[in-house]
Amino acid sequence: MKFDNIIIGGGLSGLTCGIKLAEQGKKCAIVSSGQSAIHFFSGSFDLLGKMDGQDVKNPLEAIKILPDTHPYQRVGIENISRLVVEAPRLLDRAGLNFFGKADENHFVLTPMGIMKPTWLTIDDFTRFEQNDAFPWKKAVILNFSGFLDFHTLFVQDGLKKYGVDTQIKNFAMKEFEAIRRNPSEMRSTNIAKVFDSGDALDEFAQKVNQLSEGFEVVLLPAVFGLFTKNVALNLKAKVNKPVVLLPAIPPSVPGIRSQILLRKRFEELGGTYFLGDNVEEGTFKNNRLVAVQTNNHGDIKLEADQFVLASGSFYSKGIVATREKLYEPILGLDIDGDTDSEKWLDEKFFNDQPYMHYGVKTDSGFRALKNGKPIENLFVAGSVLGGANALKEGSGAGISLLTSLHVAEQILK
Amino acid sequence: MKKEMFEPFNSSDNNFEQCVKCTICTVYCPVLEVNPDYPGPKQSGPDGERLRLKDQNFYDESLKLCLNCKRCEVACPHGVKIGDIIQLARIKYSKKKPKVRDMILANTDIVGTMASTFAPIVNPIVALKPVRLMMDGVLKIDHHRIFPEYAGMRFETWYRRYAASKQTDFKKHVSYFHGCYVNYNFPKQGKDLIKIMNAAGYGVHLLEKEKCCGVALISNGLIKQATKQARHNVEAFKKSIVDKNMPVISTSSTCIFTIRDEYPHLLGVKNDEIRNESELATRFLFRLIDSGKLKLVFKKDYRKRIAYHTPCHMEKLGWSVYSTALLKMIPGIDFVSLESRCCGIAGTYGFKKENYKTSQGVGKPLFDQIESSDIDFVATDCETCKWQIEMSTTKKVEHPISILAEALDVEATVKLWQK
Amino acid sequence: MNKNISKEYDVIIIGGGATGAGTARDCAMRGLSVLLVERHDFAAGATGRNHGLLHSGARYAVTDHESAAECIKENMILRRIANHCVEENDGLFITLPEDDISFQSQFVDACKTAGIGTEIIDPDFARHIEPSVNPNLIGAVKVPDGSVDPFRLTMSNALDARIHGAVLLTQHEVTGVVKEQNRVTGVELFNHEIKEKVKYYGKIIVNAGGIWGHHIANLAGVSINMFPAKGSLLIFGHRVNKMVLNRCRKPANADILVPGDTICLIGTTSERIPYDQIDNMFVSRKDVDVLIREGVKLSPALAATRILRAYAGVRPLVAADNDPSGRSISRGIVLLDHQERDGLSGFITITGGKLMTYRLMAEEATDLICKKLSVDKQCETAEKSLPGAEKSEHPLSIATEKVYTGANISQKSAKDRHGTLAKNISNGDNYEDSLVCECEGVSIAEVKYAVNELHVNDLIDLRRRTRVGMGTCQGELCACRAAGLLCESSEKSGKAKDDLANFLQERWKGMLPITWGEGINEIQFTSWIYEGIYGLKPDNN
Repeated sequence: MKFDNIIIGGGLSGLTCGIKLAEQGKKCAIVSSGQSAIHFFSGSFDLLGKMDGQDVKNPLEAIKILPDTHPYQRVGIENISRLVVEAPRLLDRAGLNFFGKADENHFVLTPMGIMKPTWLTIDDFTRFEQNDAFPWKKAVILNFSGFLDFHTLFVQDGLKKYGVDTQIKNFAMKEFEAIRRNPSEMRSTNIAKVFDSGDALDEFAQKVNQLSEGFEVVLLPAVFGLFTKNVALNLKAKVNKPVVLLPAIPPSVPGIRSQILLRKRFEELGGTYFLGDNVEEGTFKNNRLVAVQTNNHGDIKLEADQFVLASGSFYSKGIVATREKLYEPILGLDIDGDTDSEKWLDEKFFNDQPYMHYGVKTDSGFRALKNGKPIENLFVAGSVLGGANALKEGSGAGISLLTSLHVAEQILK
Repeated sequence: MKKEMFEPFNSSDNNFEQCVKCTICTVYCPVLEVNPDYPGPKQSGPDGERLRLKDQNFYDESLKLCLNCKRCEVACPHGVKIGDIIQLARIKYSKKKPKVRDMILANTDIVGTMASTFAPIVNPIVALKPVRLMMDGVLKIDHHRIFPEYAGMRFETWYRRYAASKQTDFKKHVSYFHGCYVNYNFPKQGKDLIKIMNAAGYGVHLLEKEKCCGVALISNGLIKQATKQARHNVEAFKKSIVDKNMPVISTSSTCIFTIRDEYPHLLGVKNDEIRNESELATRFLFRLIDSGKLKLVFKKDYRKRIAYHTPCHMEKLGWSVYSTALLKMIPGIDFVSLESRCCGIAGTYGFKKENYKTSQGVGKPLFDQIESSDIDFVATDCETCKWQIEMSTTKKVEHPISILAEALDVEATVKLWQK
Repeated sequence: MNKNISKEYDVIIIGGGATGAGTARDCAMRGLSVLLVERHDFAAGATGRNHGLLHSGARYAVTDHESAAECIKENMILRRIANHCVEENDGLFITLPEDDISFQSQFVDACKTAGIGTEIIDPDFARHIEPSVNPNLIGAVKVPDGSVDPFRLTMSNALDARIHGAVLLTQHEVTGVVKEQNRVTGVELFNHEIKEKVKYYGKIIVNAGGIWGHHIANLAGVSINMFPAKGSLLIFGHRVNKMVLNRCRKPANADILVPGDTICLIGTTSERIPYDQIDNMFVSRKDVDVLIREGVKLSPALAATRILRAYAGVRPLVAADNDPSGRSISRGIVLLDHQERDGLSGFITITGGKLMTYRLMAEEATDLICKKLSVDKQCETAEKSLPGAEKSEHPLSIATEKVYTGANISQKSAKDRHGTLAKNISNGDNYEDSLVCECEGVSIAEVKYAVNELHVNDLIDLRRRTRVGMGTCQGELCACRAAGLLCESSEKSGKAKDDLANFLQERWKGMLPITWGEGINEIQFTSWIYEGIYGLKPDNN
């Protein structure tokens, strides 16, 4: 099967790259071994949130002093300045409305009731200007009775620090009795399915209005709009005061919706998305990758002019650790990481974990290295790149979006 | 990279341990959405497996509510064979004996042999309302269900009488695993396949003696018999593939999925020697066309608007791309893609009275999609999906092979390779 | 602030391990007024950091006849009084080609002398009854080994002590021993919960602090020479073996594989460590190497089984009084009457021994206490069942005959963990039956029961009571849910966040030495959730 470009990995970077290429008329395929880490999306994309433990005000400025090995530096500051404008537009064309500025972080409220700096936030969620104040003084935190993945007391504790007077209310609705019967399935996605399909939203909004009487703002878990797009916006229209949604324990409802819309956009542009398939090996010729063989397609190899590896970090098995060594499991590429396995981990869970920095080695043009030599037509994008602890610095989504756009540009050159 | 190249020490071979509790599978389980009595793929699969290994009393009969659609496996980012874990647990721990009803539903070939022999009598009787109510009351087969009609002449009989002798005229040959449905209910699909393969220059042969793939036996807990039939089929496939160098193709996605994957995973019947050369006809044709070895010519006046439904087992195989690619080659086809959703029938699952509501609930999003799309008919590779969609929507369902056969310009196609 | 509480107890027991809890139970059952103080939590020390093996005694039969005889006796008693904490799995002592098969007959004879029932079985039959066993075995002996859950066992003893009137204080650390001349009269404690010092008085103070008893004795002005021996173990992700697997040879490193609850564990290594390291246990790579290498010899399947965590405990080895060098170590029960030994009255130490003999240790200590207090009452701990161990009318197998009720998993798990006390865990309510911990089947109702009834201060305690966070995901999904519930009952949200952070660090400590493969995938996911999405920090206040 012949394509112009094949992308290994169907997460945020694979899809971004695929959409960009397909928008330029390329015939693309994405091979994804199961659903991606977009399913754990918090609702915001960070560009650079923290530096040395401090909140970053202007990510575009702060990026300039990152080490040379950082993916942003490798993309180049000029390119980054351009791509940060392009990224939200690409998302917008997929039907995902994100807001925020690259030169000024805004803040979102986490489920711990903490303000976290970020770059782009999806329209379900509320953007805050300050990290030391909450715009309302009297808030009601609502939760579905028996929904364990939203922790109202933690939110309350956090808001207390901003001087907010809060009250917690739990409520039940008959529409949720069915899932409630199942001891493990009162999950955010299953609640969202009820809102997706039925007319529960009207009754729910009425209930919210009743319960929030006398309060200035309502806080709710983000369980609106899984397969259906505008549920969160419809809710906000029906509730007579501001609604602030907070992420719940994954899988994330807005995350899955984002994944679906991005995939849909890719497929509408003519892309082919192979879900639940694994690339098992590559055929290399003269420092080029000419085809990959997958588990489902076997001898019918997938051929392309250029390939992109966007297979994610350890969680997604983009990189695998055994007792003794690290390896890139799909094509056997070179790894940038400590060879001494005792150095992979720090003894404190919350410290900067060395393993988080590891990734596939590339040349300056993001071409993957195999046995020290660049593969001419194999590019690397997203969190499989390494070179940064994206969790500590709050840069994961930024790295995924911007490196994949950059790589797509290299391919289109 | 293939696993043997890196042998990670203490990285688990116990597949259920690869679960990192990300919970994604629960989002895509079609049953969970409509039936909360099902514990869900995570609880029934990897979580439950640990508990069952501790004490087999943790096995729960509710696992039979699993459709075995494998959509959890497709969604799983860590390659956990959730569906297999659940089915294996049923095989290993269930103490409930299959009911008479389950035996009837499971033995598609025996029942088919009898029914097709008496098709003129059976069809009207099964269709009668009192009979359906009786089946509902006594056998717990839901009375809403319309049994597929039984054909008067079995495909095998037809083949021997009218087709067999012509197949030796070709230089290249394949074997055809027709499955119970083609044999007893819908021989036309088999005839369509022969038409296309012959036009492509291939002689089509039957296996020495094919038996039902056993998918319904497995799902109804008749494991001994399923294993026996699996062994028989693997031997029959070997005679074609290994001895005669003739690949085996099929038109039933479920049969081929069962033979390729469920035999080794659920029944422990090894199929290494035959697996790669046992496939769907659409994949076989695609490979020929993709590698430039075959060109199909289609009629100029064929005009249809169709939607393709991806059966669960096609989703798992990842092979719907072959069927849709072939359909898109027909110039007159206006192709609509449907979001991949389970239709809810899952073989014999939806026939059982206790599952009827779940079954229709699962299928609803698909039915709504089909009804709201302005199409002539639905294309799909699975016969039970066909029954379900035809029963639950106003649209007819055709197999891609039948559509190809209808649209194919046989003479022009033959000319291309005869030159 | 100092608080002086005037009430004088008959006995104050220092230490909430199996021995301390067992002694509290025995004393309380004999009618004494009892206070038990524990600096952290029940079973937080050596008690909870071993194999959880219900020794038949066979392991000691050849080398230590006395221990072997004690073990089999206690083994049979525990099956009776603590059946909800015990799994009667039986054990195999296997001989591998590299072992001397002639040891087998010596072993069987020694077992016979100690009163341990043995059965020599054919290797083929051994492979049949225990499919995970190393198939190359050349000999096997079946013995009445089993598994015991040390957390539940200790808690049951503490509960029974409470039922008999004992007062239990966890989070109370002994900071001083109150003396009047040559008599110990009380203890000075630091209450970690409210950060306060308090004093309690008692006629007899029992030092049941295990290895920490060395320090407590020092506080009392006497010295006991203890030598801490570190033993490391690995927990595997699921039950590979049904029976306990041992090597039929002289006891050595890493030669016992015990199935326990949802997991199995291999151990131990043995290494003397300096006393100042006893609160700083870590498992080294070398330990992990030894454990895997030897474990695979018992059951080759371990090579491909996920490891959940590694941990180490400290055995309190006591030097014989006449040999302070520590070369001559007593492995049996050590009961020191400090009045006789050091001229310090009102103070006794019970130490040495092993988990298996906790009840016997408690009995011996209580006998001495009773003698000193002139109480004439017989020990009944060997006859009376622990709470939860009464014969259940509804065995697990009956519960499964029902079609899925929606709460089967949590109900079965609760029954498994709490025995007949599971009746106190409400069920049938959709909300209460919801699972907090999906891996181990812990429901809201069970968490509430533990919080209300079982002295739970934090998430780590909750884990010991219920197995929250002990499954495959090591707290990834359940830690936050459980923290939320704990927070509801304590109404201290700020503390609950720190508690959550501490819990994650505690889980991390055990994963550190074995984090590769799925482990590293999973921990990255956990970090994303808690640090990324939640913004949790190690210090939230």
